[in-house]
Amino acid sequence: MDLLPVKPLACILFFVAACAYLVPAGAATPREIIARAVLAEDAGAKRDFIGQLMGQADPAIAPLLEAWRTDALFIFTATDGAKIPVVLTGERDEAGTQTAARIDTGAALTAANGQPLRLVVADLAAADHTSSLRRAMKAVLDLADLAASEPAKRIKAILTIGLAQDAEKLPALQARLAIEPEESVRRALRESIALAQLKDDRDAIKLAALGELKELRSLASTDFLTRSLKESEAAGKPALARAAREALRSVESHRSFVDFFGTLFRGVSLGSILLVAALGLAITFGLMRVINMAHGEMIAVGAYTTYLVQNIFGTGITIPFFGFSLPIFGLNLTGAAYQWYFIAALPLSFIAAAIVGIGLERSVIRFLYRRPLESLLATWGVSLVMQQGLRLMFGANNVQVSSPTYLSGNWLVNDIILGWNRVFVIGFAMLIVFGMWLVLTKTPLGLLIRASMQNRTMASCMGVRTERVNMLTFGLGSGLAGLAGAFLSQIGNVGPSLGQGYIIDSFMVVVVGGVGSIGGTILSAFGIGGIDQVLQQYLPYIAPGLSWVPGIGSFLQNLAQDAAVFGKILVLAGIILFLQWKPAGLFVTRSRNLED
Amino acid sequence: MSAPTVRRYELIAVTVIALLLIVVVPLLNANGVISHFDLSRYGKYLCYALLAISVDLLWGYTGLLSLGQALFFTLGGYMHGMYLMRMIGELGQYKKPIPDFLVFLGWERLPAFWEPFASFPFAMAMVILVPGLVAYVFGYLAFRSRIKGVYFSILTQALTYAASIMFFRNNLLLGGNNGFTDFKFILGHSLADPATSRWLYIATAVAVLLAFLFCRWLSKTKFGLVQQAIRDGENRVLFSGYATAHFKLFIFVVAALLAAIGGALYTPQVGIINPGEMQADKSLEAVVWVAVGGRGTLLGPIIGAFSINYLKSWATTAFPDLWLLILGGLFVLVVLFLPGGIVSLPARLKAAWQKLAARSARKDRDSPPAPDSASAKS
Amino acid sequence: MPHPLLSVEDVSKSYDGFKAITNLNFYLYEGELRTVIGPNGAGKSTFFDLITGRAKPDKGKLDFGTDPAASHDLTELNEYEINRLGIGRKFQTPSVYTEHTVWDNLVLSLKGPRGVFASLFHRLTSTDRDRLDDILKTVRLDAKRDWKAGLLAHGEKQWLEIGMLLAQDPKVLLVDEPAAGMSDDETDRTGDLLLSLAGKHSLIVIEHDMAFVKQIAANGVVTVLHQGTVLCEGKFDEVQSDEKVREVYLGRGKHGTR
Repeated sequence: MDLLPVKPLACILFFVAACAYLVPAGAATPREIIARAVLAEDAGAKRDFIGQLMGQADPAIAPLLEAWRTDALFIFTATDGAKIPVVLTGERDEAGTQTAARIDTGAALTAANGQPLRLVVADLAAADHTSSLRRAMKAVLDLADLAASEPAKRIKAILTIGLAQDAEKLPALQARLAIEPEESVRRALRESIALAQLKDDRDAIKLAALGELKELRSLASTDFLTRSLKESEAAGKPALARAAREALRSVESHRSFVDFFGTLFRGVSLGSILLVAALGLAITFGLMRVINMAHGEMIAVGAYTTYLVQNIFGTGITIPFFGFSLPIFGLNLTGAAYQWYFIAALPLSFIAAAIVGIGLERSVIRFLYRRPLESLLATWGVSLVMQQGLRLMFGANNVQVSSPTYLSGNWLVNDIILGWNRVFVIGFAMLIVFGMWLVLTKTPLGLLIRASMQNRTMASCMGVRTERVNMLTFGLGSGLAGLAGAFLSQIGNVGPSLGQGYIIDSFMVVVVGGVGSIGGTILSAFGIGGIDQVLQQYLPYIAPGLSWVPGIGSFLQNLAQDAAVFGKILVLAGIILFLQWKPAGLFVTRSRNLED
Repeated sequence: MSAPTVRRYELIAVTVIALLLIVVVPLLNANGVISHFDLSRYGKYLCYALLAISVDLLWGYTGLLSLGQALFFTLGGYMHGMYLMRMIGELGQYKKPIPDFLVFLGWERLPAFWEPFASFPFAMAMVILVPGLVAYVFGYLAFRSRIKGVYFSILTQALTYAASIMFFRNNLLLGGNNGFTDFKFILGHSLADPATSRWLYIATAVAVLLAFLFCRWLSKTKFGLVQQAIRDGENRVLFSGYATAHFKLFIFVVAALLAAIGGALYTPQVGIINPGEMQADKSLEAVVWVAVGGRGTLLGPIIGAFSINYLKSWATTAFPDLWLLILGGLFVLVVLFLPGGIVSLPARLKAAWQKLAARSARKDRDSPPAPDSASAKS
Repeated sequence: MPHPLLSVEDVSKSYDGFKAITNLNFYLYEGELRTVIGPNGAGKSTFFDLITGRAKPDKGKLDFGTDPAASHDLTELNEYEINRLGIGRKFQTPSVYTEHTVWDNLVLSLKGPRGVFASLFHRLTSTDRDRLDDILKTVRLDAKRDWKAGLLAHGEKQWLEIGMLLAQDPKVLLVDEPAAGMSDDETDRTGDLLLSLAGKHSLIVIEHDMAFVKQIAANGVVTVLHQGTVLCEGKFDEVQSDEKVREVYLGRGKHGTR
């Protein structure tokens, strides 16, 4: 195809069209525009062509401009002397030749006989570019995202402009606002427009922008509002200063609202995580008084089962073990069917951990029912063996457990971020608490469990097969840990020492709640989770106030900056102090034995 | 065997072992029979023996399974480490008068609390005071509210965990997760000099001997009686008029100090101290040494610390992948089948031998007695 | 009338809604031997728990001391402080230090300082040894002084615990079912021993065995507990003939040893 000659008139027409963000039918495609820009002789003309791309959403634009900027866009001179802009594609062969694609059509470059041409990089001239041209390209790239198909991408691009207070792009934003259908994107647009307008010289526009920010309660605008307030005060413009102050106040009150409910949500979700992790322990430790240090590894078993199920739904996996390798074939599912893997993993994690738990009970724990310290030590040995076993089978590194679509993503309510996986964990925690309550109170097994745990000897005199009940109870507790593992795989990393991260927290939850009391466990999980999150949220605000402590003031202040770690330490210290007040935890179960 | 004979055997055994460790091994090292590498390895084991003794004093003798002894060990190590860091002077990588990691964190001057650690006596006082104070405060709170049994174990583990996450932070200004290393001098002697490490080794061996003698004396006093009574039935002791909390607090602090001294001797011999040493697993590992050696005995922890660590250094090179399986499995087996540890083996073997002998003797007779009466007697 | 050594006034205690002791009033005078009887669940052991500080009353007063101006409020003291005031207890199930020798059990109970440092440098004087030897003879464990207490028979453990009480030499001895697991002959001897202690010491004895009660309560007062409160108090014969007592307790079996 012959190249169209550059027509200044068309050029202007395109520019006007581009400004309106409408590409007229029958006009040149973005690819053609880029091809023309490459071939244009004059730097100004090149810039004008690039300018035509402003706001266009064609996915071809970004890679081509990127190639141009990085000298990967070449001009090929055909045998007839025609210059054709190309990019090289495909593998390089021994002679160093590659196939090429035309910029203007995207089709492969062919010789007259229709055979694909193979080119050598060294023979080609890269399309040149100046710094002003590169700036123009960047502007295009920035704006290209404004028209991106996913709203999240649009919002990001919009806010980038807003936070840079890029007044030059105001028209682009306003044009987009006129046609934008999505509410959340419209909000971002309004926010960014107002932010950019804060830089305007006209007081009226500034005032309007301040009013808009106040109404939007835009959290991102704090710094800009503060600056605007200072400027207005310095310039002696009381009306503006008042508007800025009001806007700031509205933003600040919104912020504390968001912080509060965000903290509450994170507290509840952390509480749910702790609860899910500790519930199994509440049974094995709380009801059976068995200190199972391998409880964390039961959680890990559940998490790795989820990983295995995911691979079975996918492409399969080979597990090495002591020099043998065990291939597991995959179902090669994709799309929606693959997403079901997590649902399938839930019961399987429970079963896998329950089987391991029953094995542990039969082989070790049943000999140690009357020796709690020994059971602590033996199960720690088991935990070492299991950790190392997992390491040998699945490697020392974390494995990838992907989130099914229904568990990834966020819910943004009023600026409060609610992760779906966390919402799910909260619901799930409630569900298993309810399930456990049903099992313990409404089933024959529950009755047997409660009877044996209250008085083992008496129960066995009444004909209860306590051995069996012990086994099943321990299986239930371990299974719950496995179920927890399946869920925790959606929240944190899955690695051989996954369980170690939860074991101490789980024990703390059960001890604080009162050993033997499921209700106490629930209360204490949410209490500890809530306090932890409150400390993490507000410690950085308190930290500057610690400087008065004599001697170690600056040291404490330093430490309090690490809110997560310091918060955790404070929670543990708080637990020790709490036990001064209530040594047996929140809910006490009593015994009349002298040495209990 | 009557009681005095046992005592004489014990005396002979202890004297022989003490001479071997304190005199013979360093002499062999000076003559090149034992390499410096091996000597410092034995020195490390001896430090671990102190840690094991401290675990046994609590677990074996008082029934308090503390999972926080590694914390006190490491605290002792850090306090001495701070002195050794100051002794590096300007020989660090950055050639600055303050420790390298502080330069790295952007400090120009030494933080105030580092200042006095240039003094060896001060550092040694801190080796005693800091772990002692931590043990005192924690023990006071725990024993006052009558936390015992597994609850005590779990809480000490939580304490250690809290401390370790704190020590991993750079903000603590104690070297973060790298801790302290690259020591150069102790009391003006180069740590690279074999003579210095020999003397450090001897000091450690003497410390172990003193700790052993101290525990031996303690177990024979009325305090020892109360201590063991607490282990077997704490409430009964309360009703005999003993404030068990005070006794437990005392022994908890003493054990913390023993561990801390072990840690202080560990740092210069091993040449590094970092928060990895105070993780929960380390405390439990020390419990394994005691369990395998024989808890509630004086020699057991020392034997356990030596044998398990010897096994460890062999197994981690021979079968690096299997070491944790071996350790974990060994532990389960000892807890289940050999609660008395290695120390109880001779008595067990003797009993088994006698049983065997009795059975074969019975077989020799023409008319064996009714099995019922035999089993009733045994 | 002298001031009582131990006064329990209007004391109540409940466990998780179960009322173990309700508005109990009880006075013990110096040198007295008081026998307490009552059916199972009458609150006898809880009564001892309250005196020894093992349980704290929900309401009421527990005062110890003959001098009203210098008496001790037992509700504010813990177990070892109460023991140090001179209140010793023998438990229902024999509670001895099973891993210690008989001799060491007595050494641990011996009257004397109880502090940490005192115990570090404690040495038995020859007077102490003589006293312990006497006690061993009294409880007839002389030959088994080097035995581990855990190896003793049930009755011997009972004796050892009585010996431990003697070594402690308390003002008040709380004795919970001393005759359980003993032969008739031993029961008789226990009774004699308790009677000989009365006068110098004050005793409260809980017992089920009516023959034994008859023996030790010959001169003393018997208190009948029922549903956590005092049903009746008086001489053995009076109590035995009391209608209410017959109804709730003796009526169930002449020798209410369960």
